[in-house]
Amino acid sequence: MKISLSWLKEFVPYAGTTQELDAVLTRAGLEVASLETHGADFPNVVVGQILESNPHPNADRLSVTRVDDGSKHPRQIVCGAKNYQVGDKVPVALPGAVLPGDFKIKVGKLRGVESEGMLCSAKELRLADDADGLLILPSATKVGAPISEIFPPDTVLEVEITSNRPDWLSLTGIAREVAANSGEAFAEPSVEPAPTRENAALARIEDPVGCPFYSVRWIRGVTVGPSPEWLARRLEAAGLRPINNVVDVTNYVMLELGQPLHAFDAAKVAGGIVVRRASEGEILPALDGREYALRSTDLVIADSARPLALAGVMGGEGSGVTGETTEILLESAYFDAPGVRATARGLNLHSDSSYRFERGVNPAGVLAASNRAAQLIVEIAGGTPDEAIATAGALPQLEWSVALRYATCRALLGLALENREIDAPLAKLGLDKVGGDAESAMWRVPAFRGDLTREVDLIEEVIRLVGIERISGRVSGGPAHASAADVSYDAAMDLRRALVGMGFSEARTSTLVARPARGDFLVLRNPLGDEQCALRSSLIGGLSAAVRRNLNLGAATVRLFELGRVFASAAEEEATVLGLIATGPRAPRTWRDAEAAEIDLFDLSGVLEAIAPGAEFEKTNDARFGLALEVRIGDFVSGVVGQLTPGAARALGARGPVVAAELRLDAVQAASLGKGAFIPSPRFPAVARDIAAVLPRSLAFGEIQRIVRASGEPLLADIEPFDIFTDDSGAKLPADRKSLAFSLTFRSPERTLTADEVNAACDRLRGRLRDELGIEFRE
Amino acid sequence: MEAQIESLRAEALAAITAARTAPDLAAVRLKYLGRTGAIPLLSEGMRDVPKEAKASVGKALNALRAEVTSALEAGDRALASAADEASLAEVDLTLPGIAPLRGSIHPLTQLLDRAVRIFRRMGFALADGPDIETEWHCFDALNTPPHHPARNELDTFYLPDGRLLRTHTSTVQIRTMEGQPPPVRIIAPGAAYRRDEVDATHLAQFTQMEGLYVAEAVSVAELKGTLEFFFQELFGTGTDIRFRPHFFPFTEPSFEIDIRTAALGERWMELAGCGMVDPAVFEAMCDRRRDRVYDPETVTGFAFGFGLDRLAMNLTGVPDIRMLVENDLRFLRQF
Repeated sequence: MKISLSWLKEFVPYAGTTQELDAVLTRAGLEVASLETHGADFPNVVVGQILESNPHPNADRLSVTRVDDGSKHPRQIVCGAKNYQVGDKVPVALPGAVLPGDFKIKVGKLRGVESEGMLCSAKELRLADDADGLLILPSATKVGAPISEIFPPDTVLEVEITSNRPDWLSLTGIAREVAANSGEAFAEPSVEPAPTRENAALARIEDPVGCPFYSVRWIRGVTVGPSPEWLARRLEAAGLRPINNVVDVTNYVMLELGQPLHAFDAAKVAGGIVVRRASEGEILPALDGREYALRSTDLVIADSARPLALAGVMGGEGSGVTGETTEILLESAYFDAPGVRATARGLNLHSDSSYRFERGVNPAGVLAASNRAAQLIVEIAGGTPDEAIATAGALPQLEWSVALRYATCRALLGLALENREIDAPLAKLGLDKVGGDAESAMWRVPAFRGDLTREVDLIEEVIRLVGIERISGRVSGGPAHASAADVSYDAAMDLRRALVGMGFSEARTSTLVARPARGDFLVLRNPLGDEQCALRSSLIGGLSAAVRRNLNLGAATVRLFELGRVFASAAEEEATVLGLIATGPRAPRTWRDAEAAEIDLFDLSGVLEAIAPGAEFEKTNDARFGLALEVRIGDFVSGVVGQLTPGAARALGARGPVVAAELRLDAVQAASLGKGAFIPSPRFPAVARDIAAVLPRSLAFGEIQRIVRASGEPLLADIEPFDIFTDDSGAKLPADRKSLAFSLTFRSPERTLTADEVNAACDRLRGRLRDELGIEFRE
Repeated sequence: MEAQIESLRAEALAAITAARTAPDLAAVRLKYLGRTGAIPLLSEGMRDVPKEAKASVGKALNALRAEVTSALEAGDRALASAADEASLAEVDLTLPGIAPLRGSIHPLTQLLDRAVRIFRRMGFALADGPDIETEWHCFDALNTPPHHPARNELDTFYLPDGRLLRTHTSTVQIRTMEGQPPPVRIIAPGAAYRRDEVDATHLAQFTQMEGLYVAEAVSVAELKGTLEFFFQELFGTGTDIRFRPHFFPFTEPSFEIDIRTAALGERWMELAGCGMVDPAVFEAMCDRRRDRVYDPETVTGFAFGFGLDRLAMNLTGVPDIRMLVENDLRFLRQF
């Protein structure tokens, strides 16, 4: 909400600087979002009239003017603008004036001609952001008047109002707060209250829930016209457009007191006013120029023929006050907040009025606003109000009390306040102490503070006014056991550091993704677009997109990981997984080494072996991959590692393989459990034998490994492949065969092995492989 | 014989001195000490040496052998050391180092981890909750009125079954209190979602850190002390911290925390929301748990929350929030 400082000062004589006021408001919980200066506050800048204008003898672009500044002696002023005529009234900066930018005006010569001041543009006076030529003032402007009289200086503060404080949606509400916080006195606008009279012929409520109370005052003989300057300026400062004096008064009073009002042209209201629910589909042409199809939940102000306004939201076209209006019906009502909210939201029609009703208006201010507006209308537009305000329904309860225990207040704040230090701020805020003793007090709350209903609400008011800076901070609390979340967090951080050491960088991709082509996934009911309509069921999609982006940006090698949640419609809806993706040369070319080979599937399965010791891999089919291995940790399938199909890799812009993996974090965590138990290092040396085998190309190393491991050779410790060779040309090796070299390691925990026993074991293994797989051996 | 020994010594030592390369030296060794070398040949002459002279000639021969052997070894060492020196002298020390392969931890994670470490120093444990939440956990239990704008379909993502993506990590407060009696002293980092169009300062998904401390006699003083400690640890002891009264449905009194520090450009920056847990939240817990361990007459507590994305941006000077999720390696590797 925008508040004009000069207007605010009508209700509280705040004498501090604007910066001090900013601090007072901020401390009270009214965040000042911006601070603007309006008007022209420049001493020695006055209204002048151009008496004559002649060409400058030495400069084509300049003119020499004679200007009446209200003194007896016209001044000669050199001017560069062209947009004026002799007789125009313009701002004149006299010698001694200081314009924005610390621009001091002095008597001086311009291209040899003396100039006793400067004629000003709107921009030079900061009245506009840019301006061509001089600011031409209305012809009725008084020559010699200080410019600050024509453009009175004002400061406009834009404050952010929290939703619990509808009373702050008015100048008086903010003035009350300033008064309570600064110690200045608050002065409410004085209004003569008019009597009220139930008048069913003039106003009737059909829906007492949507509208507990309705009032209307008939004012006859008004003259509708433009508002006076002061009124228009205040509305503009608040960001409202002046319309006519009657409408402007209703807006003015809304800003002043927080109660939205509406004025109908009485001549356009057929019969009395009825507050009723709209019929489904009923059409209301509203003041914003659009037609609204109403629903039966919307509340309207209607006459006997048609809806005239959307209750608390917006007036209708055709019943408002125009230049021809002579009699008005001034509405001031209390509408139900949720009802107004539902209508405003349902029709997507928000107004200053609905904004206030949605948050709740002060029931005690409904009639005060009616009286205040009637008084101003009579002042500005003339007319005679009916003696009484016609009413229907009843205003909600205006008074309630809240008990406050002093000890509770001290304990919650952690501050040893005296009882009187607790009472004082509440009294300053307009609460009345209606009873109590040394332990507690009973406080009657004014109607405009509907937010104060509980003890804790009062405690908040106490600390708001006392100031939290009075409280000395302290830290207390005992040690904390590691929770499951702590253990999992630490595992995740350890994993991150390990992967960083292996060259992977951490990515963060969006949880919200486009609808996946397949699989089990969850969708949103109200997504922001197709690209973010589903919850990701895998990290690989987001990581693939990141690979594509990096390759496009010229990266040679991309290694990324992400630790994040994935979602499924299964019983376990959310799981934290590790995603890995890599492509490109394993190491860059340097002055020492040539570019290394492209990353392939084995690099990534190797990473998984490193971070999840004991992980086992088994070939599987996965539509996302051309090659895929299922990852088993313990007894569970915990993830997958694979190579994207060559087509998918090319689509990402990769020249070589793109490999990716996904693994549950809890499985990685489980795999690293138990690590750290002592295993003695072997005391006796191992003996290795390299074996070169020739076998069909289709025969997998895993078969050899299986046979060797199943052999039960007691001394065999390990089998590791170290070379694979094929020759498509068939020159060195038949094209359908491959040469596979592997190393067998033998070891005994008790003694050093002899060559004979190792050779015998090797021969036995060779024999088995020959018999079972038909493998030949090279010596 | 002795004269022969003497001349052989001079000859061998001269040859050793003259040898400039390892093969030269090896040839010298062969020539004088090899099986048919000059010294073994001379030794064969011992047979003809008169008995009385055998001892002294033998001694002289041994001395010759020892001297030549030692000179050869010295020659070997000298040659090896010269070769070593030459090989080191060849290295071009102006060539750049070759860095080991190393990735990077995302800047957001780094900040989150710093925050976690600070709270752990004060004795906070971590807590966790799901991203997909019920409206009850996200709003009702947190004292949010039924018509509050945050529940709007325009602001919050809903699933077809009526559940939603949590709009704040405050849901973890509720999840934690549902599952354990007081005292509770937790922090909960995690994702939250709002239906914001993505631009330079908004993402539909962002990262928050939530905190909750509930026990007997927890007061605003503890709230203030804890968060002052946190922000001073994070930004340095010269940091100004301002608690500004504010409104949140689930805390009362409520505050926003503004920070002013050199790292953030010496202007007040709103960084966090906090407050004392509203009694209505405790009452909702009592209803849910069907017990009174969270009776607001016996326990009090404070809660706080802040967004990590904007904090990370401000601390690192990242101008556009989208950079945090673009995963450009040139960006990620800076941190």
